[in-house]
Amino acid sequence: MDVIFLFAMVIGLMLIGVPIAVSLGLSSVLFLLIYSDSSLASVAGTLFEAFEGHFTLLAIPFFILASTFMSTGGVAQRIIRFSIACVGHFQGGLAIAGVFACMMFAALSGSSPATVVAIGSIVIAAMRQAGYTKEFAAGVICNAGTLGILIPPSIVMVVYAASVDVSVGRMFLAGIIPGLLAGLMLMVTIYVIARIKNMPKGKWAGWGEVGASFREAFWGLFLIVIIMVGIYGYPWFSAELGLYKEDAIFTPTEAAAVASVYAFFVATFVYRDMGPLAETEERPRRSVFQAPMALLSVWAHPDTKQALFDAGKLTVTLMFVIANALILKHVLTDEQVPQHIANAMLSAGFGPVMFLVVVNVILLIGGQFMEPSGLLVIVAPLVFPIAIELGIDPIHLGIIMVVNMEIGMITPPVGLNLFVTSGVAGMPMMAVVRAALPFLAVLFVFLIMVTYIPWLSTMIPNALMGPEIITN
Amino acid sequence: MSVSKTGPSGFINSLEETLIALLLGLMTLITFANVIARFAFNSNILWALELTVFLFAWLVLLGAAYAVKTHSHLGVDAIVNTLGPGPRKVVALIAAGACLLFSLLLLKGAYDYWAVFADLPPTSGRWFPTGFDMKARSQSFYEVQDVPMIGAFRFLEDLINYGDSYEKLPKVVPYIVLPLSMLLLVFRFAQAALQVLRGDADRLVASHEVEDELDEARARATEGEK
Repeated sequence: MDVIFLFAMVIGLMLIGVPIAVSLGLSSVLFLLIYSDSSLASVAGTLFEAFEGHFTLLAIPFFILASTFMSTGGVAQRIIRFSIACVGHFQGGLAIAGVFACMMFAALSGSSPATVVAIGSIVIAAMRQAGYTKEFAAGVICNAGTLGILIPPSIVMVVYAASVDVSVGRMFLAGIIPGLLAGLMLMVTIYVIARIKNMPKGKWAGWGEVGASFREAFWGLFLIVIIMVGIYGYPWFSAELGLYKEDAIFTPTEAAAVASVYAFFVATFVYRDMGPLAETEERPRRSVFQAPMALLSVWAHPDTKQALFDAGKLTVTLMFVIANALILKHVLTDEQVPQHIANAMLSAGFGPVMFLVVVNVILLIGGQFMEPSGLLVIVAPLVFPIAIELGIDPIHLGIIMVVNMEIGMITPPVGLNLFVTSGVAGMPMMAVVRAALPFLAVLFVFLIMVTYIPWLSTMIPNALMGPEIITN
Repeated sequence: MSVSKTGPSGFINSLEETLIALLLGLMTLITFANVIARFAFNSNILWALELTVFLFAWLVLLGAAYAVKTHSHLGVDAIVNTLGPGPRKVVALIAAGACLLFSLLLLKGAYDYWAVFADLPPTSGRWFPTGFDMKARSQSFYEVQDVPMIGAFRFLEDLINYGDSYEKLPKVVPYIVLPLSMLLLVFRFAQAALQVLRGDADRLVASHEVEDELDEARARATEGEK
C-alpha cells in the first residue's frame, strides 16, 4: 500500500511538470521520513554515493564528451557521404543510406535524439530534394535514430550495467547483433516500399568515391575501434602462440576517456571543423604547420570550452536524474519491493514468457514519459531478481529493456524521437506519428524476435567472454 | 517553448559555465593521464580514480543548480502543454513549491551529513531543523581513501582536528559540495518560483536533452522553406 503511494507521488509530481529528478528524489525523501527511521543525512549521503559507489557510471560523462566532439566536428556530414557512396544507388537508396548513416553515427554517439538531430537535419532535406516525400523521410529517420541506444557504445547500456551490476563489456557486445539486425530490417523494408512505390535511386559513383569518402569518414569511425579494442582486446599473432587474443587494455570508463581525448584531437587537428585551425570568415582552414601555436591555444579556445560545457551540461541533467533514481532504488531495496513483486508474480504462476510481456508493457508505457536512463535505474532492479528466478539471462534482459525503450521513444502520443523529428523536419507531431507507423511495426516484430530469441543477444558475449555466471 | 531563450549573462553565468567545462575537462585529463601512466611508466596514479569521482560529484551537484537556472532539467511537459495559461501557472507554482521543499529538506540532510566531518554540530529534528545537536560525535578525523593531503588545507588540522595532522585529504573538503550545492539549489528554485509568479516563465523543465540543438535545426528548416 505505502509503495503504491510512493509510485503515485512520483508519477503525479512528474505530470505536473516537476523535474523528473526532483519527482524521484522528493517522493523517496517523503516516503523515508514517513515510513522509516532513515534520516535526511543518510539520504544526502546516498546522493553523494551515487557517484562514489558506481564507478561504471563514470563512463557516461566521457562518452557524452566524445560524442559532443564528434557532433560538432561535422562527422555526420562525412558519414552520410560515405553511406550514400555505399548504398545510394539502390532503389530508395538515399533512405537506406540514411539508416546506414544513423547506425554508424549511433555507434559514435550513444543517444537517440542526438542521432536524429545530427543525421536528420542533413538527410531529410537531401531526401526532399531528391524527390522523396517529407513524410517518408521523417518516418525513416525517426525510427533509424532509435538505434542510437542499441548500437554500442550506448549510455543506456552503461546505466543498466551499473544498476544491476553486470559487465558493461558484455552489454556492448550483446548489442551488436540486435543493432545490425534492426538496421537491416529497416533497410529491407525501405527497399521493398521503394520498389512498390517506385522511389528514386541515386547514381553509383564508383569504388573511387567509396574509397575517398571512407578515407574522410575513417578518423571518426576509428573511435569505435579504439573503444571496442580497448575494452575487449584484439586478435594478435606471435611465433610461439600462433593466432591468439590479446587481453583488454582499458576498463570501459578509461576507454571512454581515451575516446573523448581522441575525438578532441580528430575534431580540432584532423577535421579542423572547430578550434583554432577551423575556417573563419577571414581565412580558410589551416594546417597545424601553418599555425603551430594552435597546439597551445587549442586548450583555451572558446570552441573547446563550449564543447566541454555542452557535454558537462548534458551530463548534469542526465546524472541528476540517475542520482535521484538511485535514492528511489535504495528505498525500494530497503522495503524489499523487488522480492515482494517477484513472489507475487511467481505465485500467480507467471512463466518467463508472461513475465517478459509484462516487462515489455511497463517499459513501453514508461519509456514514453521518462528519460530512458532514469527509467532503467528504477525498473531494472525491480525486474532483475524475478528474471534471475525465472532463468532469464541478465544480459538478454538488458537488451530487451533497451529495445523496449527504443520503441517507447517512437510510440505515440509522447515518444521523444517523434517530438525531435517533428522539430527537425518542420512537421506537425501527428504527421510524424503517421509517417513513423509502418517502421514502428517493423521494430515491433524486431522486439518480439529479441525478446524470444535470447541467442541474438547472448551469442557474441558468451563466445568472447565465456558464459555469464550469476552470483546472487 | 515559451521559456525565454535570452540566456542570462554576466560574471556569475560565465563563472558557472567555465566551472562546468573545467570540471569535466579535469576528469577527462586525469583519467587519460592514468591510462598513459600505466602504459608509459607501468604505474598507476593511485588517487586518480577517487579524485575523478569527487570531481564528477562536484560537476553534477553544482551543475544541477545551474540547470535550474537555465530550465534544462528534464521533465514531462505533455500535460502542462494542454492547460490554459491560468491553470498552467497554478500547476507551475505547485511544481516550484515541490522543488523548494525537496531542496530545503536535502539542504538540512546535506548539512547534517557534512557537519560532523567539519567538527560542527548537526541540526536536530527529523523534518525541520529544531536546533543543534551538541552531543553528536565529531568525525573530523575521517579521511578519504587515496587522495593525499595537500598543503593548502593544513590549516584545517588546527581548526577542526585538534592539531592532529592528516595523511590523506580530510572528508570535510570534498563533501562540502553537498551543503553548498543544496544551498545553491534552494536559491535557484526560489528564483524559478519567482519567475513563475511574475509570469516570466511558465514551467521548470525541458522535455528532452537536445532542446537547444533542435531549436537551431528548426530555425535552419524554416530558413530553407523561404
